[in-house]
Amino acid sequence: MNSTVLKCGISAVIVAALLTLSLSGCATPATRGSFIEGDVSGGEAETLNWILAADASSFGYVGYTLESLANYDNKFNIVLRCLARDIEVSPDGLVYTITIRDDLEWSDGSKVTAEDYVYTLENLMFSDWLNYNYKDDWQEDVGGKNVYVTPAVINDTTFTIKRQTVQPEFVYTLYNLIPYPKYIAVKYEGNVEAFTQAREFNDLSYTGNLGPYKFKQWLKNDKYVLSRNPGYFLGKYDGAPFFEEYVVKMFGTSAVMQAALEAGDITYCGIEPQNVAKFKKMPGVNVYTVPTRGYNIIAYNQRENGWEGLRKKEVRQALSMAIDKETIARKIFLGFAEPAYSFIPSSSPWYSDNTVMKLGVAPLNGKQEAMEMLKAAGYEYTSSDGRDVLLGKDGKPVKLLMVTTPGSDVVESMSLLIKQELAAVGIDVEVKWVQWPTLLRQYMMNREPGTNQEPRYNNGLRAVSDEAWDMTLMGHNTDPLAPSGSRVFFASDGGLNSFGFFNDGVDQLFQKVRSREGMNKDDRSVMYGELARVISEEQPVDFITYTRANRGFQKNVKGIEPGINMGYNYYLWRFE
Amino acid sequence: MTDIKQVCCGRPAVDKRLLHYYWERLSKNRMSIAGLGFIVFLSLVGIFGPIFIPDPQKTDFEIKNMPPIGFSIDESVYDIKTGEFTTTVILGRPDHPLGTDSKGRDMLAMLISGARISLLVGLLATGIAIFLGTFIGVLSAYSGGWVDNALMRFTDIMMTFPFFLLLVMIVFIFGPSLAIIVLVIGLTGWTGAARLIRSETLSIRTRDFITASRALGASDARIMFNHLIPNVSSLVIVMATLSIPGVIMAEAALSFIGLGDPMSTSWGTVLNTGQHSLDTAWWVAVEPGIALFFTVLSFNFFGDGLRDAFDPKASI
Amino acid sequence: MRSYIIKRIIYSVIIAWGIMTITFILLRLGPTSPVDRYILNIAARGQDVESVRQSIEARYGLDKPIIEQYFIYMGNLLQGKWGWSFSTSQTVYDLIASHWIYSFQLILLATIFAIIFGVGLGMLAAVKQNTRIDYAASVFSFIGISIPGFWLGLMLIMVFAVYLGWFKTYYDTGYSIWSLENLKQLIMPVLALGIGELAGYLRYTRSAMLDNLRKDFVTTARAKGLPEKTVIGKHVLRNAVLPLVTIIMFDLGSIVFGGAYLTEIVFGIPGLGQVSFNAIFADDYAVVIAVTLIGTFLVLFINLATDLIYTYLDPRIRYD
Repeated sequence: MNSTVLKCGISAVIVAALLTLSLSGCATPATRGSFIEGDVSGGEAETLNWILAADASSFGYVGYTLESLANYDNKFNIVLRCLARDIEVSPDGLVYTITIRDDLEWSDGSKVTAEDYVYTLENLMFSDWLNYNYKDDWQEDVGGKNVYVTPAVINDTTFTIKRQTVQPEFVYTLYNLIPYPKYIAVKYEGNVEAFTQAREFNDLSYTGNLGPYKFKQWLKNDKYVLSRNPGYFLGKYDGAPFFEEYVVKMFGTSAVMQAALEAGDITYCGIEPQNVAKFKKMPGVNVYTVPTRGYNIIAYNQRENGWEGLRKKEVRQALSMAIDKETIARKIFLGFAEPAYSFIPSSSPWYSDNTVMKLGVAPLNGKQEAMEMLKAAGYEYTSSDGRDVLLGKDGKPVKLLMVTTPGSDVVESMSLLIKQELAAVGIDVEVKWVQWPTLLRQYMMNREPGTNQEPRYNNGLRAVSDEAWDMTLMGHNTDPLAPSGSRVFFASDGGLNSFGFFNDGVDQLFQKVRSREGMNKDDRSVMYGELARVISEEQPVDFITYTRANRGFQKNVKGIEPGINMGYNYYLWRFE
Repeated sequence: MTDIKQVCCGRPAVDKRLLHYYWERLSKNRMSIAGLGFIVFLSLVGIFGPIFIPDPQKTDFEIKNMPPIGFSIDESVYDIKTGEFTTTVILGRPDHPLGTDSKGRDMLAMLISGARISLLVGLLATGIAIFLGTFIGVLSAYSGGWVDNALMRFTDIMMTFPFFLLLVMIVFIFGPSLAIIVLVIGLTGWTGAARLIRSETLSIRTRDFITASRALGASDARIMFNHLIPNVSSLVIVMATLSIPGVIMAEAALSFIGLGDPMSTSWGTVLNTGQHSLDTAWWVAVEPGIALFFTVLSFNFFGDGLRDAFDPKASI
Repeated sequence: MRSYIIKRIIYSVIIAWGIMTITFILLRLGPTSPVDRYILNIAARGQDVESVRQSIEARYGLDKPIIEQYFIYMGNLLQGKWGWSFSTSQTVYDLIASHWIYSFQLILLATIFAIIFGVGLGMLAAVKQNTRIDYAASVFSFIGISIPGFWLGLMLIMVFAVYLGWFKTYYDTGYSIWSLENLKQLIMPVLALGIGELAGYLRYTRSAMLDNLRKDFVTTARAKGLPEKTVIGKHVLRNAVLPLVTIIMFDLGSIVFGGAYLTEIVFGIPGLGQVSFNAIFADDYAVVIAVTLIGTFLVLFINLATDLIYTYLDPRIRYD
């Protein structure tokens, strides 16, 4: 009799358990496992105290534990994170109203308020004692002076930022904002050394429910380990995130890293072009080919210490014509790159295909055509050893110096391939590899000769660098949403205009885009189209290619949306 | 057998009979002769080879990542518009018998010009180190007193300094050019030689023939040059031969971690390139390593044989 | 004896101070600057480099006059404060404390491996002189000292990890140091690092034993009817051991830097090798000096220990 009661009891328990299990199976995916992201040692972050950092990796590391106000999906639609609703811009474009959610908390349980955001801006980012690296993003030119924008607290969840000049793309800077906890930061205020070494900031122990993960361990040059944050403010809807741990593991070479992906030891890593075909065939791995923000350019030195031919638009066009972009895309990127014609990538909402001058691809390519253009520009060819040699205005063969940095196989290969391409039009290019600091100091920084000027990357029309150069190869990241950031290269007062491009038309266009006139999106689109056209015609630099990245994941990772911003929903990924 | 040189003062003779004697002893060691043979071969290749080969720096992206003759590898190029791959099979060809690297440079040409670089670095850096070491060692032993003390303390400091770290630091700071590398290896590697030479000199100094020379009125300098240095010469030769492999390895190691001269084709630089493509173009990492290995091996065989030949206690 | 030890210690401190000063001068007065790596990132974003340079220098105390920086640093060092590593955003102490064990286990295991097999094979070769075993051992030892350690490491990875899949291609710090998995993944690095040492010990042991086997006392011992094992194990070996100790100690000093570090880089072991190289490349002088000093003290200590062991092993040697 007792056993019958026992059996009933047990079966009741079993039924109850089965019911619970099946119910929970329907509701949320199981939380399990470690997601291991592989990276190569060059990508190691500087610090978790993000306000001190200059590199993108540091912001990336911090981003796993602290959400910004919003980010973007693959179509560049705004996706709200810490914002309760989208940022409101006043009709005159001068006042931004930011409203944050009311369920954000620091680790000590206190609420994250507008006060924290305003404190971070005014007392930290705008301060002298801390000297934030990217303060330029928060300044505006008022009557010739650089002044900061003015933040102000309205209530616990709302604050405003007031500007004196209109800059329609300022809103994109705002979306990236992350707060420091005022209650901790006040302890270190004014003391930069203490702030730098503050344990709370280096351990990210204050992050509360602001991110899907919490800091766990950072063994330098080996791994960065995060553990699941059950309190994550976006996790209350579906139990996200679904990994117990998120690890960023460093590898010495990409060969070893990719072998680890193949062996199933890591979950995700980037795949080199020459290995993609092999990985796509693997049953256990998914490879997604996605566009990136990265592009390469050859900068032509138009300052006084470069070849005088480079100061002529037609010559620059001819050179860009001679350098075949498809060849570079095929030979160096094995097809994982598309030709670039301007600083606006095809993924950008501001991209217009029909305005730019497409040099370097058919029909505007070819060695013969390039040589004809050079001849039309007044340069002569002579024959030597059966090869054509371009002569300069001084009657001597043209010899150009290309300076770049060693260390990246892609950059090295590109510089040598470009040398090959230009040799075919009779121009002898010497490729010189120097370390970054030397490149920056001797070749890119310039000053007016005969003065005691402090060297800068752009000291105006007459400034020249210490060492003469003709071309340099650079890689950049563009911002598809706010391409006007590239004005640092192409505007006459652009802080990185080391190659000396001064064009009034371009200056005015950049100014308009960042002013009241650019507030209307259609108008801005036209302006960008015009900018891209003018710059592609002027060719101050030769835009070469936009790179495609290949991201390899273990097949059991679900929830991925491939695209240029495919990480935007990473907290929803899971194993199945 | 007594050294005839020791009895005849004032004449640092290169005695033909002595050389013959040493050669007899050396040639009984077959490995040693084999090593010498390879060294001679390598020297010929290093000196004359670069004349016959095409420019090792010449890149040709049409033939990049070509395997050595007899092997084949697939290369797939992606088409963005279609998402399809076009795969071509790249075969090894006789005009590039050892294959090419990721920039299309011929491996054989690079290895040959790398031989020249390794030999140059080996000889020059060792030369500097041995010269400096001998000089300091003899000076120190002969002067005695506070000079000796000071020099030896300085030697101690240099000896305790972690050699490779120092190397890395200096090359990093002053720039990775071959000249700097040679200079730095030479200027930091003299300590062993100095110590050894000093103790040898100290022991020779007390021998009768030196006292005799002094009694005959020979000046210090004359004694040093005409007697001391020739007497430590056999030691120096053995030391030099056995140091060369270490120097060559040090340069290769520096290049391997990225501190080599990026425009040179030293074996270490090629190895550095190769380690990144270990899974695809494996030959770029394997070949320079083999070259390095045989070179170092030969010097070790030869130097070892030399040491046995010169050592009166070793019965050959 | 005690005064000898004290003298040596004082002497070591002076050498350490000399090394520290040289390192400091090299890194702070050389043409490279710690700020270089930041400038790059900032320039890439188009910010004004000069003002940022000044703020970074102020943040890490790099803007004071060099002499002042030197004395501040030395003062801190004497108080046991190793300083802040700006390239890794943690105290130098934390940095070293979290990484040293990986180097230590590698060097320890490689040395043990090299001693056991090197001395063992050397003895075998000496005892079986001129047989095929001896010849093979000789060739093997030459190969061992000639093969570039870092290349051997690469080859091992290529063959056993990439192609055969017996091992992981990288070192996983997830395993406990004392676990079997950790030992397994150390097999390749220990081989790559230890073979060179092993070969050296093999050659030395063989030649030292051969030397001693010829000596009179061996003939006497054999005439006395002692079993061969005792003759070799007790008498011959004892005499050969003394200089062997020197060689082992000297080796330890030299592989701690250079060989071990290259192995760490090739296999991705996050030990002090990686730490020190990265610190050099970032001009992080506090870390470089710390690691250099550790190594220096290690070497000096080993030297002193060697000399003291000498007195124990050979009662004829005495210092005063």
